[in-house]
Amino acid sequence: MPATMPKQRPLNAAVLPGGERGAAVPPQAATAPAARYGAGLFLRVWRSRWFIALRSFAIFVGLWALLAAWVASPLQLPSPATVFDAMVGLARKGELLSQTLISASRLGVALLVAAVIAVPLGFAMALSRELNAYLDPIVELLRPISGIAWIPLGLFIFGVGGTLPVFIMTYVAFFPLLLNTIDGVRDIDRKLLAAAKTMGVTRKAQLVHVVVPAALPSVMVGFRIAFASAWAAIIAAELIGSPSGLGFSIEWYRQLLMSPKVFSFIVLIGVVGYLSDLVLRALQRKLTPWAEGLGIDA
Amino acid sequence: MSVQMIQPKPAPKLRLKGISKEFIAPRTGQRTLAVADFNLDVQPGEFICIVGPSGCGKSTVLNMIAGLEKSTSGSIEMDGKAISAPGAERGVMFQDYALFPWKSVRDNVGFGLRHGTAGAGMAKAEREDRINHFVQLVGLKGAESKYPHQLSGGMRQRVALARLLANGPDVLLMDEPLGALDAQTRLVLQVELLRIWGETGNKDDRKTVIFITHGIDEAVFLADRVVVMSSHPGRVSAVLDVDIPRPRTEEVRLDPRFAELSEEIWSLIRDEAYRAIA
Amino acid sequence: MSMNVNTRPADVMPPWAKAITLPIILVVIWQAWAMTLPETSPAPAPLKVVQSFVELTASGELVWATLQSLGRVLAGFAIALAAGLSLGVLMGSSRMVRENLDPIVESFRPIAPMAILPIAILWFGTGTPAALTIVAYAAFFPLLINTIHGVSRVDRQLIRAAQTMGISRLRIVIAVVVPAAIPSVLLGSRLAMGVAWTAIIAAELAVGAKSGGGTSGGVGQMMFVFYAYSIDLNGIVVCMIVVGVIALLIDRLFRLVERHLLPWRN
Repeated sequence: MPATMPKQRPLNAAVLPGGERGAAVPPQAATAPAARYGAGLFLRVWRSRWFIALRSFAIFVGLWALLAAWVASPLQLPSPATVFDAMVGLARKGELLSQTLISASRLGVALLVAAVIAVPLGFAMALSRELNAYLDPIVELLRPISGIAWIPLGLFIFGVGGTLPVFIMTYVAFFPLLLNTIDGVRDIDRKLLAAAKTMGVTRKAQLVHVVVPAALPSVMVGFRIAFASAWAAIIAAELIGSPSGLGFSIEWYRQLLMSPKVFSFIVLIGVVGYLSDLVLRALQRKLTPWAEGLGIDA
Repeated sequence: MSVQMIQPKPAPKLRLKGISKEFIAPRTGQRTLAVADFNLDVQPGEFICIVGPSGCGKSTVLNMIAGLEKSTSGSIEMDGKAISAPGAERGVMFQDYALFPWKSVRDNVGFGLRHGTAGAGMAKAEREDRINHFVQLVGLKGAESKYPHQLSGGMRQRVALARLLANGPDVLLMDEPLGALDAQTRLVLQVELLRIWGETGNKDDRKTVIFITHGIDEAVFLADRVVVMSSHPGRVSAVLDVDIPRPRTEEVRLDPRFAELSEEIWSLIRDEAYRAIA
Repeated sequence: MSMNVNTRPADVMPPWAKAITLPIILVVIWQAWAMTLPETSPAPAPLKVVQSFVELTASGELVWATLQSLGRVLAGFAIALAAGLSLGVLMGSSRMVRENLDPIVESFRPIAPMAILPIAILWFGTGTPAALTIVAYAAFFPLLINTIHGVSRVDRQLIRAAQTMGISRLRIVIAVVVPAAIPSVLLGSRLAMGVAWTAIIAAELAVGAKSGGGTSGGVGQMMFVFYAYSIDLNGIVVCMIVVGVIALLIDRLFRLVERHLLPWRN
């Protein structure tokens, strides 16, 4: 769900009584002497998104530092500076990069496998009522069983290693991809298909030029949700049943009681997850620029 | 007109003096003058229609009278007192009706009575009576416990009207209230609106109405006076007296005077309308 | 799309029959496969799973473990609800607060609940508090984001309409903003309960796995014990089914509540 949350906020965003009122200028801004040049630039920077983000981070890190000083237990809460040092150290050794690459490649394989199975299956299930009648119950029976719950059985089958995380992530990524593909195909505007038929378009062309493009934005949304779910699952899978990867690393350093390194990897997990979603969003906009017309925000 | 010359002119219900409104885009700081030097006196019980091309600032003017937006300069007075905030004495009917989706018809009509100043100190039974009265007046008897999504556009519009009247405002501010309806429903509701307003009754009992529309024939059919606005920035380009006697019926539309007035208004906004779609 | 209007035998089959066809076939194949294995094989088989389910239920173990997990989910959810709602209302109603806190929230969101388990263990040890932390953390984000969404997107016209009726600010919050935000908050709660349930299984599993089978209990722990100590795969499958059934029940329960509380949405 979080991944589908439209990022774009309409003009009539937050309005509590007396709060700011959409695009209309608050009265004081309208009457204030126009700060066009010097002060205007200052205001623009002050209100810009990146400056606010930077300021928030600075305050956050400041509070963290204060709290760390107050707790005074580097084991439980290392200071930002120690974590930064640890991060630099891990980066120099190449460990940050190598562990990230291990997790990322597992993630990539899992997403690829899931997409190759789920997307064609989704199209087939959406287009054939017969197939759907037989397969949908299985999907609905399996779906509530979270990927995590497969870990013990998976451990038994695959053992501790790289296969288990890939299996868990493929399972986790499968459902959002499948369901969003089915929804995307089913929600096609019937009028578009009717229009294509009245133009004498062949069935194959209908599929290629109407059904697929109309469903693709929804598939992309499914892909982003699949990524987010898989990213959450990989940490659990590696933490419990793998000798390498980001999830393994945080648990490994916890057992060694090297908290700064634990924190370094947690930060890394956040950063990589965030950046990946940014990339996926950009990809989504690039690949399906018509998505907005279907009411899907990137 | 001649009648007004003999009688002493009553104090205006609303007085808009040199109103202007400037919008500033929050991030770019770009300024847009939406309304400029808007002057208008509205007499008690008068039915005013404001027409003009899309984006001419009609709604902005209405919102300023409602107190929902502040004017950048100029003053708006009601009964000689400056308006600074929204109040129950100025009721607003919104373009999309703004019905509370989680309230039934009855609770929507009674919303202001229950939570607002209009119903302060009112006994429950009295409130119920009042709700019933207005539900009946707009012809919604039997639909009281329905939710807005279960109603047709015309019925929602009636709920909004009943809610507006139930709060007992002195001034009715209506922002294209019939805009979203189909053509037939619209014609029916125009006649009904005049009936509810009290066209057939005593002139002194009528509420003061400011009604925004983009329908020229609608304006001529309903109004005592039509204010024609031009855009960029929005200003008053003409005020026309509609000297068609009341009560008005469907036949009024066949009146040569009706056509004449409609034509006059259209000639005032035609150029801008063409420019807008070019 | 499919134009099969002719009634072939398959079309005569009622939908429920189609629905159970494949599951039955799969279970039969699974059972048949299991019967080819030697009696000592630990591989799970449908009949053994049923037997295991009966035994675990009769001994009360399964019920107790489920209740333990559910209790943790509810407690963690309650914490998340308190935090998510209050912060969500604040962020939803003030753009200033939202703009300033958004970057922080957004950077924590991609950090999986399990990633903070090591910290929780460092702080609270391997008992229930660590598990609660994970659950609360997981449930917090759907609650927060949906509350912000619900509060910030209250139809502006509705607030304006209330203002023009001379309704005070406080009453507008009570009579307009809160009811308008309820659907979002309920949706957030449903999603939050879903992830909370997943998170507790993960946390119990991991605490069991990494702390030498501590005494944390719960369904997740039970699964780990079956894996690591008694090598009872049938028991694991029973636990998996319980996990699925509870997830389904939670989801259905919330949908039911949504339907009852929001009659205007039907």
